[in-house]
Amino acid sequence: MAVLGYLANGLVFSSIIVLGSIGLSLVYSIADFANFAHGDTMTVGAYAALVTFGAVGGLGGAVLGLPYGFFVALAAGIAVAAVAAVATEKLVYEPLDTDSIGLLITSIGIAFVYRGVLQIGFGADFTRFDVQALRPIASLLPYGVRVTLHDVAIVASAVVLVVGLHLLLQYTDLGRKMRAMADNPELARVSGIRTKRVKLWTWVIGAGLAGAGGVFLGLFNQLAPRMGFNLLLVIFAAVILGGIGSVYGAMAGGFLIGMINQLTPLFSDVVEALPIWPGWLEAALESLVSIEYANAIAFVIMVVVLLVRPNGIAGEAAT
Amino acid sequence: MSQDNTNVADRRTLLKLTGGAGITALGGCLSTTDDGDGSDGSGSDDGDGSDGTGSDDGGDSTDPYEIGMVDSQTGSLSPFGERNQRGVDLALSAVNEVGIDGRELDVIVEDSGSENQSGIAAAQKLVNQDGVPFLIGAVGSGVSLAIYESVVEGTDVVQLSQNSTGLELTEFPGLLRMSPSGLSQANALADLIADDGYDRVALTYVNNDYGQSLTDAFVDAWDGEIAYENSHDQDQQSYSGVVSEMNGSDAEAWLFITYQAEFTTMVNEVYSSGYEAQFYGADSVSGDDVIENTPEGSMDGMRIVVPSAPVEEENYQSFADAFAEEYDRQPTSWAAYAYDCVINAALAIQAADEFTGAALQETVRRVSAPEGEAVTSFEAASEILADGGGPDDVDYQGVSGPIDFDENGDPVGFLQIQEVRDHEYEPVEFTQG
Repeated sequence: MAVLGYLANGLVFSSIIVLGSIGLSLVYSIADFANFAHGDTMTVGAYAALVTFGAVGGLGGAVLGLPYGFFVALAAGIAVAAVAAVATEKLVYEPLDTDSIGLLITSIGIAFVYRGVLQIGFGADFTRFDVQALRPIASLLPYGVRVTLHDVAIVASAVVLVVGLHLLLQYTDLGRKMRAMADNPELARVSGIRTKRVKLWTWVIGAGLAGAGGVFLGLFNQLAPRMGFNLLLVIFAAVILGGIGSVYGAMAGGFLIGMINQLTPLFSDVVEALPIWPGWLEAALESLVSIEYANAIAFVIMVVVLLVRPNGIAGEAAT
Repeated sequence: MSQDNTNVADRRTLLKLTGGAGITALGGCLSTTDDGDGSDGSGSDDGDGSDGTGSDDGGDSTDPYEIGMVDSQTGSLSPFGERNQRGVDLALSAVNEVGIDGRELDVIVEDSGSENQSGIAAAQKLVNQDGVPFLIGAVGSGVSLAIYESVVEGTDVVQLSQNSTGLELTEFPGLLRMSPSGLSQANALADLIADDGYDRVALTYVNNDYGQSLTDAFVDAWDGEIAYENSHDQDQQSYSGVVSEMNGSDAEAWLFITYQAEFTTMVNEVYSSGYEAQFYGADSVSGDDVIENTPEGSMDGMRIVVPSAPVEEENYQSFADAFAEEYDRQPTSWAAYAYDCVINAALAIQAADEFTGAALQETVRRVSAPEGEAVTSFEAASEILADGGGPDDVDYQGVSGPIDFDENGDPVGFLQIQEVRDHEYEPVEFTQG
């Protein structure tokens, strides 16, 4: 009973993590640095959607408990996050001409800039989208699943975006070029691929997905200038777990980390139910496997997976 | 192969840096709470006189008196910084309208970033470089204590925290504070829940000094059964595990000792999961932001114990009017505490023989102690002092309460029990802490 409920919560939370981690991994594989501003790119998307939603309103009808206007806002969030990332790439990263560590440190600074600008504009307090909050779907309650239509919308939209990305990578010209570039940038350039243009598209896609993740994070929880940054650590864990640079690895990693995070109450039930010997070990495990350490448990599992597969789940396969 | 090695190296670097960023993110022990209030304050620190060369305060100088303030202008407690700044600005204009023996008062504000290390750096700059003898600071209890232990202790400098409510500050008599200790709040909560007829309670608290110490005090005061007790980390994106475990404990009364953002997340998750319970909360979970960002009816009947300014008193009301006129919003208790910090400091300066830490230590408690004539404004208190009165002839009654620091440096706190009705906080009764 309860297991289904935790799995459903995990699925919702994972969807958001997956959207964030894909972009991070994509940018890493092609632009070749770990973008610490990625979390704040999510925040940018969320606030862009907040502003847009406030401006356009509900636009009449609703689907899955969300007014049409919200989907317009979602598109705006994706667009603004992409524009912000491309502008940053053009104005800062590209002219900077430094190695990947230099870019990494720069991106931390960029993260502060994004957050600072949002804080100046919207204040430090949190807020929510002006969407009617929903009660859980009644027909699922008997199974212990307590999700709202909004949660369904989050998962469905994430699936659409992820499948869209998959199709793009596998079946389009741009996708083939991106994969070629991730494999070997020099060879890609020699073969006549315009790497700069591909790189820009990578930024657009990665940041766009992050923007979508930010919007859903705001819908799932709330908007605050620190929202994306607070999630960044978990996203990094997901990306590293999946094998950094691999998009499909990032999907798997994000899914796993999100699930583990939400399944912690279940783990603690299991530990309590299991007859563990000796007694002190059981006591120690019971106090450690507890909801307050949900993130720590996710990280321990990440370390265990990395010990077995040092390059992450999809470490060997490129993109 | 070589490709592989670089990958491993990159991952290592990344892990290191991620860890570093994580530690940074977890820094900043916070502790106080807020009463809600809007968002986009300007937070201008126009207190800075920029001629920060310090204490050239010989007899007849006409330079302003400079005192220091460590505030959370940025970081996780920055909403408090904004609230404090409004209270400080209002207090400064009240003081400087009258003047202190013909001189003005100036507050040099430095940012703590809501974190211990930068709080200490800010205090060191104020004490060592600007040479201020009176330091208002800080917001978070952890930051206040860190400043006291690293900078203030062993010197003559007076430290008065504007917003810290952590219980452990009571153990440091040299560290004064304007906001009441959480101990009285914990006792009041235990009484309240028992009086409402519950003997089992599920409890979750924020995983830091503030949450832990308030929870310990509550558990001490609570006679019934604790069906569930667990902490949660701040700034998480989901607490659905916590609320489902609380629901699983079958307790009808749920007590939340956490901050507004975390509590808002929890209420929304309780609502979207369809759980029902009687909520109770420490003051830190109440605020307009919570009301605005939770669905109508999701917390009806919730009861909260908040440290409260005596809102029925006349001086509070005139403060509230002035505040509303200036900022177009109602003041919070936290702005009132910051206001009283500045007024109390100004009176201590006027009552002291000279502008030094040692002299201010003598007067800071006495100007608001119960001896002397009770006055409710800086102007009235200043008149008594100007007419030759000593520090014991004045009893400043603050807008946040009677102040009256006890031997531990804690003020007499007023508590108010509020209930959520029709999705708004309604005062139910007052108690004195």
